[in-house]
Amino acid sequence: MSGFFSQLGTVTKMNLLSLPSRLWMSLAAVFAVAVVVAVLLAFLAMARGFAATLEGTGAEDVAIVTRTGSQAELNSVLSRETVSLISSSPGVAQDGDGNAIVSAELYVVVDGIRRSSQSEANIPLRGLAASGFDLRTGVQITEGRIFEPGRNEIIVGAGVQREFSGFEIGEELRFGKTVWEVVGVFSTNGSAFESELWADATTVQSQFQRGSSFQTVRMRLAELGNVEPIRQYIENDPQLILDVVTEADFFASQGEALSGIAIFGWTLSVVMGLGALAGALNTMYTSVASRVREIATLRAIGFSNSSAFFGTLIESLLLAIIGGAAGACAAWMFFDGFSTSTLGAGFTQVVFTFELTAALFVNGIAVALVIGLIGGIFPAWRAARVPVVTAFQGGE
Amino acid sequence: MKDLFLIFKNLTRKPLRLFLTLFATFIAFMIFATLGSFQQALNAGIELSADDRLVSMNKINFTQPLPISYVERIRAVDGVEMVTHLNWFGGYFQEPRNQLGMFAVAPESFLQVYPELLVADDKREAWINNRQGLIAGEAVAKQYGWQEGQRIPINSNIFSKVDGSTVWDFDVVAIYTGADAQTDTNSIYFHYEYFNKTQSFGGDNVGFVAIKSADASQNEAVIAGIDTMFANSPAETETMPEKAFNKAFLDQIGNLGLILTSVVLAAFFVILIIVGNSMILSIRERTAEIGVMKTLGFGSGRIFRMVLAESLLLALIGGALGVLAANLLVAGINQAPVQLPTLVVNGALWLQALVFMLGLGLITGIIPAVNALRLNIITALSRG
Repeated sequence: MSGFFSQLGTVTKMNLLSLPSRLWMSLAAVFAVAVVVAVLLAFLAMARGFAATLEGTGAEDVAIVTRTGSQAELNSVLSRETVSLISSSPGVAQDGDGNAIVSAELYVVVDGIRRSSQSEANIPLRGLAASGFDLRTGVQITEGRIFEPGRNEIIVGAGVQREFSGFEIGEELRFGKTVWEVVGVFSTNGSAFESELWADATTVQSQFQRGSSFQTVRMRLAELGNVEPIRQYIENDPQLILDVVTEADFFASQGEALSGIAIFGWTLSVVMGLGALAGALNTMYTSVASRVREIATLRAIGFSNSSAFFGTLIESLLLAIIGGAAGACAAWMFFDGFSTSTLGAGFTQVVFTFELTAALFVNGIAVALVIGLIGGIFPAWRAARVPVVTAFQGGE
Repeated sequence: MKDLFLIFKNLTRKPLRLFLTLFATFIAFMIFATLGSFQQALNAGIELSADDRLVSMNKINFTQPLPISYVERIRAVDGVEMVTHLNWFGGYFQEPRNQLGMFAVAPESFLQVYPELLVADDKREAWINNRQGLIAGEAVAKQYGWQEGQRIPINSNIFSKVDGSTVWDFDVVAIYTGADAQTDTNSIYFHYEYFNKTQSFGGDNVGFVAIKSADASQNEAVIAGIDTMFANSPAETETMPEKAFNKAFLDQIGNLGLILTSVVLAAFFVILIIVGNSMILSIRERTAEIGVMKTLGFGSGRIFRMVLAESLLLALIGGALGVLAANLLVAGINQAPVQLPTLVVNGALWLQALVFMLGLGLITGIIPAVNALRLNIITALSRG
């Protein structure tokens, strides 16, 4: 057995040391694998980043109530009566004074100008009260101050400020006839709320002619993740035509919107991978052909054909791993943390950053290994079957 | 003729390498043509929009409504020839994920303003007279298997009926087709009257107003006329050419064009390097032969042309096969029950592909061809 390994070591060393003579051919294979891996990881990082943003948005201990079938906050309408009825539902946590911890909110779409394309995009303006801040974890005013109730003042999510122009502190925003002033910037640990503008709920109602209506209600759950009591309560009251889910569920399903991108990325990289595989096969067959006399000579002096087989396979795998690692590094350098925004399920822009996680990295390397394995196995088979007599003939 | 035979022999001397190189080229061009047809379909919404058509919407954002009274007031603006209005319905069929591009419209004026949606004359009358009737594009009708004359229930995620239900019943009166292969036929249109009478809130509003100007040259004046008229009113308007609106809407999703272009470039770059290398290699292996050919009196120019012809032929065969495969692929995608614009690998795309094939052939062939051109007979023969 040790004989096999020393033979394998010799063959591998011979293969690798002779690489410089096939430098360009080998680089081509490495490069092809690198591009395939980089393209795959870019798409996966995009899908992951988007999903992570929305998964990080919803809380398990908060329920969100919308009109039945509305699916998005934008589509929902709740009257003041509905809001007060649902607030007295069992299963909702209460504060020290015995009041239910709820936040009735409005969700209006306004225009923002995207920095990269200078075109108009839908930005949500959320009307909420102080309780809305309490129902969200990690809200921080990073600049300026919070809006004052009753005044046309707006605070801007960090994501909005990053991707869209015209939302600096002190700037005036015109929505139709109304004029608003930006007074602060807030962050929410990178969640989708950072893609929003926030203002006082009552002010939004009056400035957007919403009367006394709201669109959604958020409620702190008495028991983590348990919306059943509220669902029962809604079912028993024919006046309430409402859906209730935990906020975590509400946003998690929205995060799947870009899963199609991941499928597209996989399809594309498999197809491109076939092209790269052709390159790898070409390289490895050439490698075997250029060493055919050495291989035959080794066989003649007693090397096993499996050492020729594995030596070639190792060369191929090594090239593929180098390519995969290079592609993954390139993807990491260019795409990890890349900020962008797209139209989310709420029909408004969701700002998110690409996330190249370790798990995705593994995917990239796996693709590279598959290309290296298939690209090496057939040429290795040929190497193992080089007849000994070739050593004594003149080349090919 | 003899040269052609030699080129053919050279190409096929190593069938495996020929196959692998062709396959790599094939893959690159298949990706190019498929993604290219996607990009064209995306742009079709912009390219196919009529120059003399404008849309007027609430200045705050297009999701905010306008009073229906605006329609008549806009009709009176100078340079306006026809006006119609649309409301986004938020419709879905059976399940919320089966979202429909569905609008409540005024049928008669709607069909006049959008002449690219083709409905047979008798069906057109039938629709106008059937308040519960809708017309569905052939793509969406195919997706859900709707037939003319069928009655279908459709839900809305925005509007509920006065009785609280969110299900509307519709008659599929006609299935419309597009004047162009790439005209969008994923949308559904139904009577504003039916919608406005049965919905429970927010009545007498329209989503946006579509305007046909007398002539595209009057667009600027029409835009100014409308937006000034409603300035300082509770619902100010923003009017823009349909083309600009469609482009802005596509931009909301993100820079898809950039993504597609980058991917195609990446694929081409990979193939360029693979094919280029294999060409250089195969010419180098023939060094001695080229020396012999030169000795036999083949001119350097002739050899140069033969090498170049070989790489061009390789690119053209692989590329053409790739575009043909994309044709099949795209036809398959069009059959699939997903809501995508109709994909077409058209002449423009073929032409573009052809240019790229020639480019690829020239770039991959030029270095080995020059090497062969410069090759000195003595070195060639001694190296062999």
